[in-house]
Amino acid sequence: MLEYIGPALEHLFTIENFVWMNLGVFIGAVFAAIPGLSVILCVILFLPFTYKMTAIPGMMFLLGIYCAGGYGGSVSAILINTPGTPHAAATMMDGHPLSQKGRTKAALKVALYASAFGGVFSALMLLFLGPQVAQVAAQLGTAEYFMVCLFGLTIIAGVSGKSMIKGLIAACLGLLISCIGADPMTSYDRFTFGISRLYLGLDLAICLIGLFALVEILAKSEKKIGQLILDSKRMNDDGKITKDEYKRLIRPTLISSIIGVLVGIVPGTGASEASWFSYDRAKAMSKHKEEFGHGSVEGIAAAESANNAVTGATLIPLLTMGIPGDGTVAIMLSALMINGLNPGLSLFTTQGDIMYAIMIGLIFVNLFMLFQGRFLTQLFAKVVSIPQEILTPIIVLFCFAGAYSVNKNYFDVGVALIFAVIAWLLRKLDMPLIPILLGMVLGNMTETNFRRALFISNGSPMIFVSSIYCIIFVVLTVLAVFTLIRSKMKESKEEEKE
Amino acid sequence: MKRGIINSILIFTMAAGVLSGCGGSKTTSFTVTCPWAPSGVAAMVSQKAAAMSTNHSDNMILVADAVKGDAATVNTWVADTKADDTKLVFAGEGLFSITSILDPSKLQFSYDDFAFVENLYSSVFVMSADASLNIKGMKDLGSYLAETDEVSVAANGATSSEAFLAASLFGSMGYGDKLKITPYSSAAEAAQAVARGETDFAISHQSQILETFEQGGVTIVCAFDGEDITEGAFAGVEGVGKYGYPYFRNRCFILARSGTKKETVAELKKLYDDILGDNEMSTWLKDTMMLEIDMMSEEEVQEHIQNVQNIVNEYYDIVVG
Repeated sequence: MLEYIGPALEHLFTIENFVWMNLGVFIGAVFAAIPGLSVILCVILFLPFTYKMTAIPGMMFLLGIYCAGGYGGSVSAILINTPGTPHAAATMMDGHPLSQKGRTKAALKVALYASAFGGVFSALMLLFLGPQVAQVAAQLGTAEYFMVCLFGLTIIAGVSGKSMIKGLIAACLGLLISCIGADPMTSYDRFTFGISRLYLGLDLAICLIGLFALVEILAKSEKKIGQLILDSKRMNDDGKITKDEYKRLIRPTLISSIIGVLVGIVPGTGASEASWFSYDRAKAMSKHKEEFGHGSVEGIAAAESANNAVTGATLIPLLTMGIPGDGTVAIMLSALMINGLNPGLSLFTTQGDIMYAIMIGLIFVNLFMLFQGRFLTQLFAKVVSIPQEILTPIIVLFCFAGAYSVNKNYFDVGVALIFAVIAWLLRKLDMPLIPILLGMVLGNMTETNFRRALFISNGSPMIFVSSIYCIIFVVLTVLAVFTLIRSKMKESKEEEKE
Repeated sequence: MKRGIINSILIFTMAAGVLSGCGGSKTTSFTVTCPWAPSGVAAMVSQKAAAMSTNHSDNMILVADAVKGDAATVNTWVADTKADDTKLVFAGEGLFSITSILDPSKLQFSYDDFAFVENLYSSVFVMSADASLNIKGMKDLGSYLAETDEVSVAANGATSSEAFLAASLFGSMGYGDKLKITPYSSAAEAAQAVARGETDFAISHQSQILETFEQGGVTIVCAFDGEDITEGAFAGVEGVGKYGYPYFRNRCFILARSGTKKETVAELKKLYDDILGDNEMSTWLKDTMMLEIDMMSEEEVQEHIQNVQNIVNEYYDIVVG
């Protein structure tokens, strides 16, 4: 490794690379801050710019978009209660409430610092432990994936709000929605009603626009003009984070970064799963549980550090085994291959200088994200001072443009509107919306791996306890359910006493 | 003084902008829609061709676009285009030979809706085996199949080209009833499944299994081609065709909307042929993507579609069950 560091630094430290890094970071942050304009769409749009570049500047540009996109999604989640990207949904849980308390800048700052920490942490993991970690991740099979998903579904309890039953109903709705499209085992259509555009299922980014952005607009339309006045408290925000808050951020940020890396190295999982796992763990371990859902800085830090820690980790299977960890990284694979680089361990010896330049470059990308983010935060925070009659039409415009841009068709705009109406009705019934999102995030992966595992084992459920990794997740799931039941019983006893 | 300089610069810029539109040849952009994942083999080839198009034509530029969706994307493309539109689309045997038989209602188009431009490449699929089985050729495979009750093959999709290749090989060897096709959502997933022993075999493009093979996770059993592979990391791997078993290569053709002027189609074909004739492109296809340049006539494309349809019809029951 050491013999490549010198040449790698020589390749990396050029003005061209640093310009592309910063350009990528800026574009990624702004793009992801707009609901519907996902990071993957941004990478696809800007990929042609890398055709004429060599591998390092091309990758620096794309990594800039990718990493800053991880942070950018939190901006709209905090400002307008709509995650710019699906993985920022967990940030919304506390980011927007903290903004409503008049601490928008503080919320944006916590998200930025946590994102940068998570990003640098995962870049270091990639640099020093990449090949070793990849070997472990390669051992995880279909049964292990299912057990991870099952454990993930226990998070639903934590985001169900007051009523567990309503949370479960909402989660089931999310799971049902995830069944729309081609059956993962047979390829035959399900719930598509002959509509060919539903064959690939519903895109999460489009559903998010309806569930969280357009529903806010519908809710606002019920209010009178006078009720939409600006909150002066939100405008007089100094953005200060107290020493005590900084101290409280350390543990969830570090633990969530580790969770983000662990989730990121497993191909097929992603930043959404990582941020929800981390949010749930941070809540369980916090001394201030009551603040979660009401503007907890720990909640924001946990979600953001985790989703940015995924960025470096997803590159581990890509660079060491040629396996893209998620869709965005798959596009980067094509950028590498167009430059004649076929990722894999052999590339670490044949083109070690380029590989290490990319990995070290990732650290700088995250540092530039931090520097740019400090200025952008001031700019983004001004959104809360825009009058509602101006801001609302702009949000609607971005929502429709975002929904259209995913697959470049109007059908998706209709889907977003339908989801907005569904969400509006569910809110009237006091149903939580986050469990729907969780059901949709985990549904397809849970079903596919469950059915495939049983197919492999010829129907024997023993496959789910066939490895040490499976057993660990069985124990974790049982513990999570047990803790949940105990805390619910405790709550009901306290209610009875009162 | 300062204002004068700014005004002069502005006037010069505007004049240059206006004049740049005069006299020069008109450049037309052709958007090439690839209906599969942006990280797939076809999309990457399309991107590379687009990147090189500016070196080979002054009046035509190719713009690569990947919209995952398979039949649904092509349906939309057909619905949204008309003759002479500057839009092209990729299609392959998956749509014309497999979906057209398995689920024809999914296709709102036929081959007549297109004008054939060019086939860019062909890919020889290979079958890899879990390294612990120590199967390194067709002879080993025959012995293994004779002794075992069930064989599982990982494929990218339940009814994909890879699934039908597995069915045709095992079926023609007389072991179709032992075959269990395990579908995965990507070729990379399928390759990893066989490497960790979750399935016995996997079928994939050569480039998709190369790294796993080099790390010793799998052995290569055979290639789905008429002859043995002669070059690269898989040189010496036996082609199933020489044993008389059916096979086909993976091909993806560039199509324009039917009714498009013949001159335009011919110009596009020439552009693609020039790109494929470029040393940079051919080296990249061979060394990085492990594909072969395969320019075809429309008749050859029809033959390919028919050949795959015959295989699908014959081994339908093994795949669909």
